[in-house]
Amino acid sequence: MSVGYVTVQWNRHKRVYDVCIAIGISLYLVVFIVVGKLLYTGRNAISDPILGMRALATCAFLLLHIILCIGPLARLDRRFLPLLYNRRHLGVATFLIALAHAALAIGFYHGFGSVNPLVSLLSSNTNFASLSAFPYQILGASALLIMFLMAATSHDFWLRNLGAPAWKRLHMLVYVAYALLIMHVALGILQTQRSPWLAALVGAGVVTVAALHIVAGARECRHDERGWQRAPAGGGCWVDVGAVDEIADQCGATVTIGGRERIALFRHNGRVSAATNVCAHQGGPLGEGRIIDGCITCPWHGWQYRPADGRSPPPFTEKINTYRVRIVGRRVQVDPTALPPGTAVEPARVEEA
Amino acid sequence: MVVAILLTIGLYAAIGAAFGILFAWRGVDRIDPAAHGASWTFRLLILPGVIALWPLLMMRWRGAARTRDSS
Ligand code: HEM
Ligand code: FES
Repeated sequence: MSVGYVTVQWNRHKRVYDVCIAIGISLYLVVFIVVGKLLYTGRNAISDPILGMRALATCAFLLLHIILCIGPLARLDRRFLPLLYNRRHLGVATFLIALAHAALAIGFYHGFGSVNPLVSLLSSNTNFASLSAFPYQILGASALLIMFLMAATSHDFWLRNLGAPAWKRLHMLVYVAYALLIMHVALGILQTQRSPWLAALVGAGVVTVAALHIVAGARECRHDERGWQRAPAGGGCWVDVGAVDEIADQCGATVTIGGRERIALFRHNGRVSAATNVCAHQGGPLGEGRIIDGCITCPWHGWQYRPADGRSPPPFTEKINTYRVRIVGRRVQVDPTALPPGTAVEPARVEEA
Repeated sequence: MVVAILLTIGLYAAIGAAFGILFAWRGVDRIDPAAHGASWTFRLLILPGVIALWPLLMMRWRGAARTRDSS
């Protein structure tokens, strides 16, 4: 949550996360280069710049796959949430590694002529009509540009000042970058005559990313479908959304009413409150969060809101929509009209059975 | 043609860099109160983004200056 900007909001979890990223990347690069040296000797030896270029390229490409898989994995299984928490550091690291790969490639393939390397990158190959000779490096450069924009705007300052919808749209470009990179790699393999196992790995990567997104998406659709079947009970505005006992104490649950925006329910100390499911930070699913220190706590980056009025505890000033909620028998009923952000609502009391 | 494109990008980035230094030094505080008293490392961190998106921030800064003048 934001009162004043800090360069990086470090905490223990993020430090551990970043140390793991650094160790993982270093290990990968060292192993790749050592194995490359041992495997290709004599006439088949690969020169150092090309080996380095490939080590960095495959490292960045692998990291991008991890980044793209974390989202759906965290939706499917809560145990992946800690990975999501600091994903932007992973994103910035990926950009830096990809930048190093690009710098090496430009220096090595375009740096020794009389033409400026960047001019050479964009103009040395203009076979746009040919698939087997396509200027695949330009595809890589376009993807790198997108990755730069995302890394450069990853601080919360940008989220606030571009506005969450624009920021989100900008960061959805990662899928465009991913598509460009698949083509960069596929056409690159075609032209540099690499072994088929690399193509097989790329194919496996694409299938994994696509399958995870489809499975997680299908689950969301089923959830929304159940929402369509819910209708106001007895002509009034109250909608039955399930039994109280389906919500564990100090936990959240998510319901959809009429296919519209999702509502998060929370059970805390014998009471039930309802708020929007959309976190004010980056739209994280609040209903998948928990009550910590008496506050609704977002599962993504831990922003907190009081269940009784949807406001962040002072000194923070964030607010989310709340909903009226009541309990009839052991059933929870919600009025699906969103109240203005930060509106206080009396929580419904759960009669102990 | 390619040279012209690269020169345009270079010019855009050069203006962005000049504006960016001013913005990171003074402008951020004007458009976003949460940046008051932020460290120089924070200002350095947002600089690449400012260089890329400077026209947008220039508009914000002008807007902020105008509302301050009129109030
Ligand atoms: C200006 C930008 C870029 C340029 C000029 C460039 C250039 C190249 C070149 C020349 C190769 C073939 C290397 C070889 O001889 O095997 C290559 C391969 C590759 N590039 Fe890029 N690239 C750029 C951006 C990127 C980015 C952003 C990524 C992101 C992850 C990336 C990932 C890869 C991968 C995975 C390979 C295949 C590596 C291999 O053959 O083992 N590239 N690139
Ligand atoms: S805390 Fe980041 S999305 Fe909720």
